[in-house]
Amino acid sequence: MPERPAYVIVIGAGKVGFYLSRHLLEGGYEVALIEKDPVRASLVAAQLGSCASLVGDGDEMAFLATSGIERADVVAAVTGDDEDNLIACQLAKRQFSVPRTIARVNNPRNVQLFHQLGVDVAVSATELILGVIETGLASHGDVLQIPLGGSSEASLVRVTVPVGQAIGRTVGDVPDLAGERLLLIVRNGQELDPQTPLEPGDQIVLFTTRPASDFTLEVPELASPRSS
Amino acid sequence: MGFVSGIGDILAAVKVVIVGCGRVGSTLARDLSREGHDVAIIDISRRAFERLGEAFSGKAVLGSGIDQEILEEAGAGEADCFISVTNGDNRNIMSAQVAREIFKIPRVMTRIYDPIRERVYREMGLYTFCPTVVGAAIARTFFDSGPAEADRARHAVAASGASGGA
Repeated sequence: MPERPAYVIVIGAGKVGFYLSRHLLEGGYEVALIEKDPVRASLVAAQLGSCASLVGDGDEMAFLATSGIERADVVAAVTGDDEDNLIACQLAKRQFSVPRTIARVNNPRNVQLFHQLGVDVAVSATELILGVIETGLASHGDVLQIPLGGSSEASLVRVTVPVGQAIGRTVGDVPDLAGERLLLIVRNGQELDPQTPLEPGDQIVLFTTRPASDFTLEVPELASPRSS
Repeated sequence: MGFVSGIGDILAAVKVVIVGCGRVGSTLARDLSREGHDVAIIDISRRAFERLGEAFSGKAVLGSGIDQEILEEAGAGEADCFISVTNGDNRNIMSAQVAREIFKIPRVMTRIYDPIRERVYREMGLYTFCPTVVGAAIARTFFDSGPAEADRARHAVAASGASGGA
């Protein structure tokens, strides 16, 4: 444990702000929760107890200055309004030199924008959920897809070599994989040389913009394996 | 560029996107449209567009000015000038930053009521104006020196546009 617990200012006491604060308090952090609506703020204060819950505007500079923001390690702006989260993070960073700012992003298209405008971490719940669902859908059978987020289609795909398909060939000899950026071949937890002939169960990790379900590793019957 | 002295002048129509169809936004949109400029105005309320009147020949886009798709629909990708004047400081600031950083609009201006936030974003290079500061300055001049000086201060503001950065 460090000498003093990290000080986190959470802006917005909706469901996200409330559960985040509670989680952080349980983890031993010092937390200040800032909420505009006085009714909501007092309700949350009663539930959280030890947390300093403050009524005020998270992007009102005069108010932020009273919250001890200049010694905050993290500001997490998690209101339901992207513009408020963005401006709160920008002010925290620029005026109060807060080392790490985190914004909840309600419109997934704003993730990249927030990074561009200086927010350290931009989290889109929509994107996370979509990602999990997509992964769930894509991980049927022998493939697993991990979307990399942003507006990009890029993802990491892990393909497991099926029995009877592409066996004895190198990755370069499987047409399905030929144009893709190969990152890793793993067998029994060990990284393999990319020239190693494949065996069933080998895991191939690719960086790609194709959907995981595309990768069947089919090799045309007539193509003969290259001898190595 | 962008100054128009009367009907009949040969002028290059400026493509302008205005966010917020309140009193300021609608007045500006009506005037610029009448003068032949290519105006698109965005507001989240359909009723707000009633302020534009029948003669308005520009484009009215229903939606949020911080939404990149709405800005695209308004033609932000080809705009020469962008002005955000909604009632929300943060919406104005965010849409102005989107206009500048994403759509690369060369001339971007935004209204910020909160003097402190206005100073911060002006320092960050946005062209901003703060009605609070301008209004207080005129009232103060009236208090100190009377109506003639206050009028002069008002005209100085009108002539110079507004305080602000690049």
